[in-house]
Amino acid sequence: MKYIYSLLALLMFISCAEKEEVAKSWQLSKTIPITGINAIGMAITSEGFWLSDGDHNRLVLIDNEGKTIKTIDSLERPMHIDGAEEILYVPQYGNDEVSVFTNGEKKTLFLLDSLDAPAGVSSYKQEKAIADFYNNRILYSNDGKKFISFGKEGKATGDFYYPTDVQITENHIWVADAYNNRIQVFDKQGTFLKVIGVDQKMNAATGIFVTSTEVFVTDFENDRVLVFNHDGVLQQELSKGVEKPIEVIQHQGQLFVSNYRKSELLVFDWKGTPEGETHQEDTQDHDHDH
Amino acid sequence: MKKIIIIVFAVLLAIPAVQAQKTYDQFEVQVDGLGCPFCAYGLEKKFKEFKGIKKVKIDIETGDFSFAYPSEKALTIQAVEEQVKKAGYTPMSGRVTRHDGTVEEMVGAKEAIAADAELITESAFVAGNCEMCQARIVKASTDVFGVATAVWNKDTKLLEVSYDKKTTNLDAIEKAVAKAGHDTKNHQAKNGTYKSLPGCCAYERVEY
Repeated sequence: MKYIYSLLALLMFISCAEKEEVAKSWQLSKTIPITGINAIGMAITSEGFWLSDGDHNRLVLIDNEGKTIKTIDSLERPMHIDGAEEILYVPQYGNDEVSVFTNGEKKTLFLLDSLDAPAGVSSYKQEKAIADFYNNRILYSNDGKKFISFGKEGKATGDFYYPTDVQITENHIWVADAYNNRIQVFDKQGTFLKVIGVDQKMNAATGIFVTSTEVFVTDFENDRVLVFNHDGVLQQELSKGVEKPIEVIQHQGQLFVSNYRKSELLVFDWKGTPEGETHQEDTQDHDHDH
Repeated sequence: MKKIIIIVFAVLLAIPAVQAQKTYDQFEVQVDGLGCPFCAYGLEKKFKEFKGIKKVKIDIETGDFSFAYPSEKALTIQAVEEQVKKAGYTPMSGRVTRHDGTVEEMVGAKEAIAADAELITESAFVAGNCEMCQARIVKASTDVFGVATAVWNKDTKLLEVSYDKKTTNLDAIEKAVAKAGHDTKNHQAKNGTYKSLPGCCAYERVEY
C-alpha cells in the first residue's frame, strides 16, 4: 500500500511539473544601461555585441554590462546592422552606402544601383538584402553580388511605405514595412507571399527578427514588441519596460530589445509565466539563433 | 608684351584671393518633434542635397538643426523655414548669422492674448500618429491669433485648445490644422500636403 501511495505522489509530481513547463513566455529579466548610446541596430559578430548609434554616427562594441569596449566613428547615420562571424554589415542612411567591416577593415558593398537611405541589411550565407528606405524597395542577392529589386511605394500587398528592416531566412525574405504598419513576407524571387500584423494596429513597425518559429516586431510608437508565429498569429505582446523600441534580436536564447531614446537594452528570458499573466500559445525551439 | 604678361600674372594671382574670400552664412533652426530617427535623419539628408550647402548637422536629442550656405546666395531665414515645413518638419525658432556678423531671426513671435480675453477650452478630433505630428498640430493651432494653449494627445487624437472666443473659434483652428496636413472632423487636409508629410506621420485618413 505504501508503494502505491508513493507511486501516486510521484505521478502527481510529474504531471504538475509537465504542466508548469508548458506555461512559459518571454519575461523581462534585466535592463542594461548603455549610457550615451541611442542604439538603432544590434548585431553579433565573433568580436561580440555591436550597436549602431545613429544619432552619434558610430558603431559601439559593448560588453555584457553595456560598457563600451570600442567604437568605430565617422559613419553617416548607421542603421539596422547585421553580423556574420567576423563580418559586420552597416547600412549608412546618410551617405547611401552599405559598409562591410571585416576585422576592422572597411569596404563598401558594390551595387550597380544607387540607394536612397539604406535603413536595414541582412546577410544569410552568401545572400544579402537591403531595405532601401526612400526608394520603397528591397534589394536582394543570392550570391552577394548581383541584386534584384522588388517593391514600390504604395499600400497594396507587395508595396512598401518606407521599409526600415529586412531579414533573410532559409526560404523567405521578411520586411518591416514600417509605415504601412505591417510585416511582409516574400520568396527569393521577390514574389509576395503573406502579410503579418495588420490586425494589431501597429504604429511604425521599425524592426524585425525572425527565428525558426517566431517573428519579433518592434511597434515603435505603441511602446511594445509583438511576437508572432510564422503564420502571423500573435503569440505574445511585450510591453513591460518597452519604450520607443526600434530593434530586437535573439541571441543565445535571450531576447534583446533596444529602447532607442532611453539608451538601454532590455533582456527577456523564456521562462515560466507569473501567475495572473496570460500568453496566447506555446511555441517551440526558443533558443534557436538565426 | 610686357604689359600683357603683367596683366596675366595679376589675374592669376587674384584668382586664389577671390576663392579664399568665399564666405558662408550660418543657419540655426530649432525643430520640434524629432521622435523617429528615420524621418529626422531624412531632414538632414534632404538639405544635404542642396547645392553649395555645408556642415549640415542635426542633433536628434535637442532638435538643433544647423548648416552653412554661401553668402552670395543671400538665402533668407524665411525661405529656410518654408523648406523645413515643406519637408514636413516643424520649425519653432531660427536665426541666420551673416558672414559680416549681422543676425536675422525667424519671425514667429506671437501677439499676446488680450488682457480682456474671454478664454474658453474646447476639444476637437485631429488625425495624427506621432511626436512629429504632435509638434505640427500644436504649432498650427497656437499660430492662430487668439489661441492661448494647445495640447494634442496621440493616443486619443484629441486636440484641446484654449482660445479667446472674441478673436477666433474652433472651426478656424481646425482649418489651420488641416492646412498643416492633418484631417480633423470637419476639415480635410489637401492630398498634396498630406503626401508631403514624413513617413511616420502617414496617419489613417478620415473618411467624410
